[in-house]
Amino acid sequence: MAKKLGKKARKFAHKHLQGGAKRSRKLRSQFNRRTRKDGKGREDDNRLNGDGGSEETRRNDPTMNMNDDVATLANCLEFPEDENELDGDLSDSDGYLSEDPECMYYSDSDDDNVLKECIVQDDLDEQNNEMRLAVEKQKRKLKKLLDKDPKFANFLEKWQLELVNFESKEDSDEQDEMDSVDNGVDSGDKDPPSDKILTSKTISEWCQLVLDEPKAPALRNLLNAFRDACQFGLNSNSLSMQRLQSTEVFYQIISFVLSKTDNIFRALLEISDDDKGKLMNQRNGKKWQDIEPLIKSYLRNSLDLISQLTDNQILTYVLTRLRTSAVYFSAYPSTSRRLLKMLVRLWASGDQNLSLSSFLMIREVASLLPDCLDFCLTKTYNAYLSSSKIVDNRNIENIDFILNCLVELYSLDIQKAGERAVISVGQLSAILRQASKTKGKEDLLKIDNWQYINCINLWVRFICVNYKDCHNLHLLFSSVVQIIRGVAHLLPGMRYLPLRLKLAQMLNELSNCSQMFFPVPSLIFGSLEFRETPQKEQTEKGKTHFSSILKVPRNMLKSRDFQEQCVLSAIEVLSAHFFQWSYHVSFPEVATIPLILLKRLQEQTTIESLRRPLKRMIDQVSENRDFVQRKREVVSFSPNDASSVESFLQEEEMNGGASFTQFYASVAKSRQSRGRKLV
Amino acid sequence: MGKSSKKNKVILAPPLPPDVDDEDILVSDEDVDFVEENREHVHLITGLNRKALDKVVTRVPDHDEDKVELLYEERERKRRAALALKPKDDDDLEVDPVDALPVKTLQGELLYRTAKRARSEDKAKGAESRSDDKDADAKQSSQKECKGRSNKKEDSKLQNVQRPLEVPKEKLHSVVLEEVKEELSADELFEKKKAQLAELGMAMLEDPESNIRSLNDLLIICNDTDQRVVKLAIMSLLAVFRDIIPSYRIRQLTEKELAVEVSKEVKKTRYYEYTLIRSYKAYLQKLISLEKQPYFYLVAVRCLCSLLDAAPHFNHRESLLASVVKNLSSSNDVARKLCSEAIRSLFRNEGKHRGEATVEAVRLVSASVKLNDCQLHPDVVEVCLSLKFDEDLGKDESKEEKLKPKKNKRYQNRDVTKPSEKKKIKKELLSKARQEVHADLRAVSFTLDPKEKKMIQRETLAALFETYFRILKHSMNTSNSRYKATSVFPGGSHPLLAPCLEGLGKFSHLIDLDFMSELIACLKKLSGYTDHQGEIPPDNTLSVSERLQCCIVAFKVWRSNLEALNVDLQDFFVQFYNLILEYRPDRDHGEVLADALKTLLWEGKQQDMLRAAAFIKRLATFALSFGSTEAIAALITLRHLLQKNTKCRNMLENDAGGGSLSSLVAKYDPEAKDPYLSGALATVLWELSLLQKHHDETVSGMASNILSMANLNATQNPVQLSSSNPLEAYKDLSMGRELSKPTHKVSQTLKCKRKRRSKEFVALSTDVLEKADCTVGEDELREKLQSHFAVLRGISENERLRTELNHALSSINMYKEYKKQKKFLCKIQLLHP
Repeated sequence: MAKKLGKKARKFAHKHLQGGAKRSRKLRSQFNRRTRKDGKGREDDNRLNGDGGSEETRRNDPTMNMNDDVATLANCLEFPEDENELDGDLSDSDGYLSEDPECMYYSDSDDDNVLKECIVQDDLDEQNNEMRLAVEKQKRKLKKLLDKDPKFANFLEKWQLELVNFESKEDSDEQDEMDSVDNGVDSGDKDPPSDKILTSKTISEWCQLVLDEPKAPALRNLLNAFRDACQFGLNSNSLSMQRLQSTEVFYQIISFVLSKTDNIFRALLEISDDDKGKLMNQRNGKKWQDIEPLIKSYLRNSLDLISQLTDNQILTYVLTRLRTSAVYFSAYPSTSRRLLKMLVRLWASGDQNLSLSSFLMIREVASLLPDCLDFCLTKTYNAYLSSSKIVDNRNIENIDFILNCLVELYSLDIQKAGERAVISVGQLSAILRQASKTKGKEDLLKIDNWQYINCINLWVRFICVNYKDCHNLHLLFSSVVQIIRGVAHLLPGMRYLPLRLKLAQMLNELSNCSQMFFPVPSLIFGSLEFRETPQKEQTEKGKTHFSSILKVPRNMLKSRDFQEQCVLSAIEVLSAHFFQWSYHVSFPEVATIPLILLKRLQEQTTIESLRRPLKRMIDQVSENRDFVQRKREVVSFSPNDASSVESFLQEEEMNGGASFTQFYASVAKSRQSRGRKLV
Repeated sequence: MGKSSKKNKVILAPPLPPDVDDEDILVSDEDVDFVEENREHVHLITGLNRKALDKVVTRVPDHDEDKVELLYEERERKRRAALALKPKDDDDLEVDPVDALPVKTLQGELLYRTAKRARSEDKAKGAESRSDDKDADAKQSSQKECKGRSNKKEDSKLQNVQRPLEVPKEKLHSVVLEEVKEELSADELFEKKKAQLAELGMAMLEDPESNIRSLNDLLIICNDTDQRVVKLAIMSLLAVFRDIIPSYRIRQLTEKELAVEVSKEVKKTRYYEYTLIRSYKAYLQKLISLEKQPYFYLVAVRCLCSLLDAAPHFNHRESLLASVVKNLSSSNDVARKLCSEAIRSLFRNEGKHRGEATVEAVRLVSASVKLNDCQLHPDVVEVCLSLKFDEDLGKDESKEEKLKPKKNKRYQNRDVTKPSEKKKIKKELLSKARQEVHADLRAVSFTLDPKEKKMIQRETLAALFETYFRILKHSMNTSNSRYKATSVFPGGSHPLLAPCLEGLGKFSHLIDLDFMSELIACLKKLSGYTDHQGEIPPDNTLSVSERLQCCIVAFKVWRSNLEALNVDLQDFFVQFYNLILEYRPDRDHGEVLADALKTLLWEGKQQDMLRAAAFIKRLATFALSFGSTEAIAALITLRHLLQKNTKCRNMLENDAGGGSLSSLVAKYDPEAKDPYLSGALATVLWELSLLQKHHDETVSGMASNILSMANLNATQNPVQLSSSNPLEAYKDLSMGRELSKPTHKVSQTLKCKRKRRSKEFVALSTDVLEKADCTVGEDELREKLQSHFAVLRGISENERLRTELNHALSSINMYKEYKKQKKFLCKIQLLHP
């Protein structure tokens, strides 16, 4: 165990030793494995919240099994990613700033209880203690030997020298290849980095200085301290290890720099808002020249911090703080890319808050830096696809959220997004055609999976959001409609009812945004058929909600639960459909056939729990039907008078007073609560 | 090889079979009878000098046993061929030792035949007993020599592949084979057999005339124990037969013909033909028996189908057909497909067999349907859809010969076939037999005189409709017990109904008028119509598609018989009116619905106004709730109805109360069961205004087109959008068709109408966004950051300690080396003080 843990720790350190350049090389594979690779941190997580950890691994599993056919589908749906890697326009410096000697270092009065305050809570410390003892023992032994034979000391020294030479040679070889810049000191600053120990008092003093006077040289010192804090643990030999000895200091530095620096920079640059043009104009100005190294150091070290942190809450905090500084990133496109890559990973991680804050950051950066938008769109789209492979009760909300984020991002630049939409919809359509041609099992499987459905859903949502604002969306619109119809056509039968309900919902959405008529009921008539159910119901184990499945398992087909869900979901979809046309002159006819079926079902059903919702639906629909019928009996226009038809009951619709509107609201509400209950 | 050895008189004898205990040898009754019958010949066998024979037999032991075995077979074949070619053997008693395989006597003693005995038997002309009757030469000689022999039964017995006398021989064979197997691995054997098969097959194909005997060898291989070999053997036999079967039927020779002395050529041909038929029959029997084994099932079926396809005119067609028809209802999809394809090609290419096979096949289908009580796979009846009837012939028939009434009687009491009918057929056959020469001639030219053709067609039709009516009757009788009957075939408890209805529709013009009313009544009942309106018949068991089909068939039958019938089809309209609501897009076939729309409404000439109005309203409502394919079919019908019934155009306009026309029923009832009572004329077609907003352009276009009718005069019609009928329109728009269309490239770029402010959120709801600003509490943050730091420090500390430890350890290790070096130095110092 001891050895294993040690190995892990080494791996951890080694990983973070590598600069951004190497990390980005294996970009794709890393993306998938990233969460795993944070070996130590993950373990930490596991210990902290065992539940979350198991969920993580579970979600990781499908990502790891990249060889199954779902993966191949993902590959054909995904956008190709540009593997060309960026030079680091920030990474040419590790952000060390020359310090002003005026700034004093204070010694902490309580400096000697450093070790005590360290929170001893994990095996690592135990192990460290053990090792400390072992080292003592071995040293004593060595000393004995040395005492016994003084000449041995000479020999040992010689050997050690050799060893050091050899190692340094090897090291430098490696480092040269990887990123020599990482170790180098900023070329502009000849002074060696300070190795004075940072004490709590020192930091407080500095903070006070900086707050009083933003231009104070203490800012440099503080940023250096921030650098050390961010790089802490990256390199065991580095000075930062020696400079930071107290957890309190670490916290002080990080929290102060993150919360205050942005304002300080703004004050220094004399800009108030996120106006990018202003910033760009200033880029050649003197102020910028002066401050740039500071900003550079700040941004770069923040990135290091993000890549090191493992706790979602801290990450959320850091990202929220950093978001105000997003505008500075726009000055460094390639660094922005590095940032975006990290952000996308965090965005798809599954934690709602972290996801949201990283998305907001992504959006901020992408909107500020149009060059990065393409990169963002590809990355996020692929991340969405890979995270939507498996849908279950737990992640269904998250997927919905990610989907909305993605739509948000794609709506930033309609033209670029449109190109991508056309490509993606073309791929979907090609898969559908292939399946329709061969009707092969494998080809059908490519349709009958979450990725495909979620992908359709993405474009449906995208169209809905942008339909009103865009001219020529209708071609995309019609191909999406065709895909939806095709999927429903290729996957018939009761077992695919959940899938159909999903498609019907999509059609409802499309119908809502475009004000076109879609015969939604035809998709869900199957669920309104009466079927006999066994009187005795087996134990209701593994109750799965329709929203998290596409295909009903065979054994569930005849169950009561299935019946119930069928009818209730059908009522939901139908009421959405009816609601849309509830003020239309032909509402009575829209409702005729579904109403007949509903009535018949109500008479026949043996499930008591269904009677009430059915009756309520029937009553509401009939009421609205009578209402429209009464209203239209007194009008004099004919069906071919389009404008009059449009204006029929417009006022009432504006007021929204009809009882059906209220009914629909209550149905939607109960649906939400039902969904939440299952989560 | 065999030949050379023969010439050199170095004759190798097969090894003696191991002694078999008497008890081990099965003596079949036939054996006993046989020997009993021919007691006078027994002495020939019993008197053989076994020792002398043994000597000969065991003389040359330096050959492999299996080689000898092969040698034996080969030589035997050659010898027999020689015999066949040279009927008159010289009297030279050459004893071929390979003939010396043992023969069992009545007493169970093993004896060894000699050529001598065979010869002596050959000489004994007229003797009915011929023990040495292994194969065709026997028959050949009997044909030429045994003129007086009338013992045909004996003949056929001889023809059997496995004759009684061969039983013990075979047994010994197998014993030998077993020994062989010990030495030869199965694979080698397989390869060998494969090569042998190939050789034989090639020889057959090269020169069937002279190698006809190889058929027998191939047949023998079919009995191999290795299943792979058997498979190969039947496949190669198939290839051979497909190739060598002549284009005529081989006739059994009459006694007279046998009596006539014929030339050598003719004899040769006769022999050839005879062998061919006999092997063919044996082959068929083999196939039919193999078909029962699962391992061979598919191969056997494939062979049977292939044979039927290639030689429907040839002998033994009956068994071939029977087997193929039986497999039409196989549970194996592949086999079923093969069979139905074979039968279809049989129907299509009637020229090959002059239609005779068609009649037989249809009769077989009919018999099979009867036998299985209509519980068969739909394919069985579906194949009949490929039947072709010459309509002119049918008409001539009814006019000239007035045979129809007779036929009808036959329909009505199907179970009793009239004797006169039978007689007639017999007579026909008789005359056919008389004119054999003509028949032969015709067989060559493959033409049928019209009369005969008519006859065949009539027979086929009779059998076909018998099948159809049986299925209909059956569906009616058992319709109440649907839930009890669990069927393995698709299509519920009436698997055959759908293809049957389809067939009735297709051949409706050939159905007799007299029979019509009964058929219509039957269809009405099947379509689910009840006289009691307002209630859904609870025991209505047919699916919607089937019921729709019943309506379609009724109309087709009615229409194809010149609509002269005094049949009331109103009920079908009522039924259809209600069935429209029962339609479900996935469960039922949309094409059937479209077809029904086309047949009942679109094609009808004159429509009752009330009824038309009811249908118009219902179709409009229907289009609102169903997919665009169904909607377009409905709308096309609707437009057609509006065009024909100009008064119904009032429905397009919102006149107060709909005018005088609505006086009958004042208010429209969408749920009415009877179109006449629905009061549809009182409504307005509001649906069309919504259909104009339909997402599908075809549908919305059609809706606008219909609405534009309102502004036109009664005589005017709007511009035709398309002239297709509902069915065509349905098919055009169906998803499958849609998806097979080439994709048009969407290359247009999207443009945003208005510039959005970049800060505006479009998809995310505000309450979600609000969450973004909730920050972590300071204490929590402090704690977490601190623990993060602690972990990092722990790790680096760990790392540092580890290196230190390693360093110390290696230093200690260095001490040893140091000591070594010291010793070495000491030594050097000692050596060089």
